[in-house]
Amino acid sequence: MSMNTTISVEPFKRLVKLAARAFYDDVSTKGENQSKNNARGDNKGIAVVVLDALTRRPWVNEEALAKDLKIHIKQLRRVLRLFEEDKLLTRAHRKETAKITKKPNGGGADGQKRFGREDDKNNKLHTHSYCCLDYAQIYDVVRYRLHRMRKMIKDELENNNAVQQYICPNCGRRYNALDALRLISLVDEYFHCENCEGVLVAESDKLAAQEGGDGDDNARRRRREKLKDMLQNMEVQLKPLMDQLSRVKDLPIPEIGSLQAWQLHEHAAGRAINGDPSSDDQFKYSQGSGYGGTPMPFLGETKVEVAFAGDESKEGIKSESSSASLKVLPPWMIKQGMNLTKEQRGEVKKESKMDSSSAAVEFSDEKKSAQENDDSIKEEYVKAYYAALLEQQRQAEESAKKQQELSQTSMSNGLSESASNRQVGKKAKREEGEGDDDVEWDEAPIEGNTSESYRLNDLNDEAPASGEEDDDIDWEEG
Amino acid sequence: MFFHIVLERNMQLHPRFFGRNLRENIVSKLMKDVEGTCSGRHGFVVAITGIENIGKGLIRDGTGFVTFPVKYQCVVFRPFKGEILEAVVTMVNKMGFFAEAGPVQIFVSNHLIPDDMEFQTGDMPNYTTSDGSVKIQKDSEVRLKIIGTRVDATEIFCIGTIKDDFLGVINDPANA
Repeated sequence: MSMNTTISVEPFKRLVKLAARAFYDDVSTKGENQSKNNARGDNKGIAVVVLDALTRRPWVNEEALAKDLKIHIKQLRRVLRLFEEDKLLTRAHRKETAKITKKPNGGGADGQKRFGREDDKNNKLHTHSYCCLDYAQIYDVVRYRLHRMRKMIKDELENNNAVQQYICPNCGRRYNALDALRLISLVDEYFHCENCEGVLVAESDKLAAQEGGDGDDNARRRRREKLKDMLQNMEVQLKPLMDQLSRVKDLPIPEIGSLQAWQLHEHAAGRAINGDPSSDDQFKYSQGSGYGGTPMPFLGETKVEVAFAGDESKEGIKSESSSASLKVLPPWMIKQGMNLTKEQRGEVKKESKMDSSSAAVEFSDEKKSAQENDDSIKEEYVKAYYAALLEQQRQAEESAKKQQELSQTSMSNGLSESASNRQVGKKAKREEGEGDDDVEWDEAPIEGNTSESYRLNDLNDEAPASGEEDDDIDWEEG
Repeated sequence: MFFHIVLERNMQLHPRFFGRNLRENIVSKLMKDVEGTCSGRHGFVVAITGIENIGKGLIRDGTGFVTFPVKYQCVVFRPFKGEILEAVVTMVNKMGFFAEAGPVQIFVSNHLIPDDMEFQTGDMPNYTTSDGSVKIQKDSEVRLKIIGTRVDATEIFCIGTIKDDFLGVINDPANA
């Protein structure tokens, strides 16, 4: 939107609108099979409507555009294809999950598990098409089109490109330039009739010499008149377009950029303005699947974007899914010997919330108390953690072999399985790696580790896997 | 425009060529027969670049000649309408001039020569601009656009124009 409002785009938009009215006014997208006299199906001018609509928005999802314009997507596609062929717009096709706007389920490890399943479902990628006017190209295309129009008429007017006709004044036999090879004579520099050896005259010369006689000549003259008219009409009727072209000539061409670049920009802008990022967006990017095989540079860019979003998204998620706070583990998940903090059992929910948002400015008042709470929690956590570690070591020795095998397979098999196989001590550790919710109770004990895994988590959907890796290392140590 | 295509031809070979060098004989005969010919469909065969395969020979009744179906790759040249070519002027007369681009003959009639070029008769007939800076005469090299082709079974003739942007003399031997 920010691009839309820049002044320099306006002349270009006007150019597009003028060009639309000049060249696409009578374009109909009717298929050949449809009857021509069906008044209801008459959609002349739809191309103009679509072009106008496109001037009002940058990159737009084609389905959304069809909905906005209240025309069928197929109809729209037909028009867009025409424009694409005419190089007026660029289209981008992107593989996206079907329901990209689906909200992530909050709720700790449980949610994470559900994520896994959801991913499978969403991973059925559908190609979504986006389109956008390419102003730089439009400028060139329109100019070229005008140039071609003028040239075609002029060429025909001046009889360029026409095959020269020759006529024998004696016997009236006609030849054309393609016969030239047979007509050259060795004695002089004229063409000679094959029949009577008479010197041929070029037909236009003859026309000039003769009085405009037979019907053929009349037709040709009429044609010439018509062409002249057409040229004149063209100059008059396309004047506004040409004026606009010359006006636009020295202006910098608005660059909308590629779809990815634009979307990134758009999100950054949207966030800066609104200040309330929707976790959906964050999800979309952290999913990574939305990019479906985009090259690494883009992932690199998202990294920056999402890290920025991640800070706020904690709040976003929290406020949205306040009923099911992320750190509360469901009762069935809590087993004996688990080194869980209180808030994870859902006992001190409120404090945890405040703590997590301590970074945010609005909560700065309560920061102090939260900090105090934090300290006590940290101590508690450290105790619990070591207890669990001991327990874990003991158990690990008991079933070391078996467990190791299990963990190995679970690693390769996937998330949900590994979660079910997981040991209690490990479980807690894994959550640590899961990020988002863990910040409160992680902060003290292993600063470096958390910050690292935290960033990982926010970046992309690889996060759970990386968390697991951490786990595995722990296992072998224990 | 040049194309690299695979063509097929039945080669009739006299029995005296049968022997160790049968294959070589077939190929050399093929080259002699085919290179430089023109077919309306494919254009001029410029060169044979390889033999795809030589089929089983069939002995003709009565003559003893043997027919071999030969598949060969070759480069062909076929002019198209609208194509831009560079050509050497071979003859200039009042009606225009003739030029050759390889095997193709092109005629440029005088109304397709820019209006500011006038025909000058003499020892070396030529078309010259009024200021004398540009001259088209025999052996000049010109860039022209083909505006018409006549394709017969065995020959291709083109007419061209130099009355367009970036067309005309590209190298004048008189000035060189």
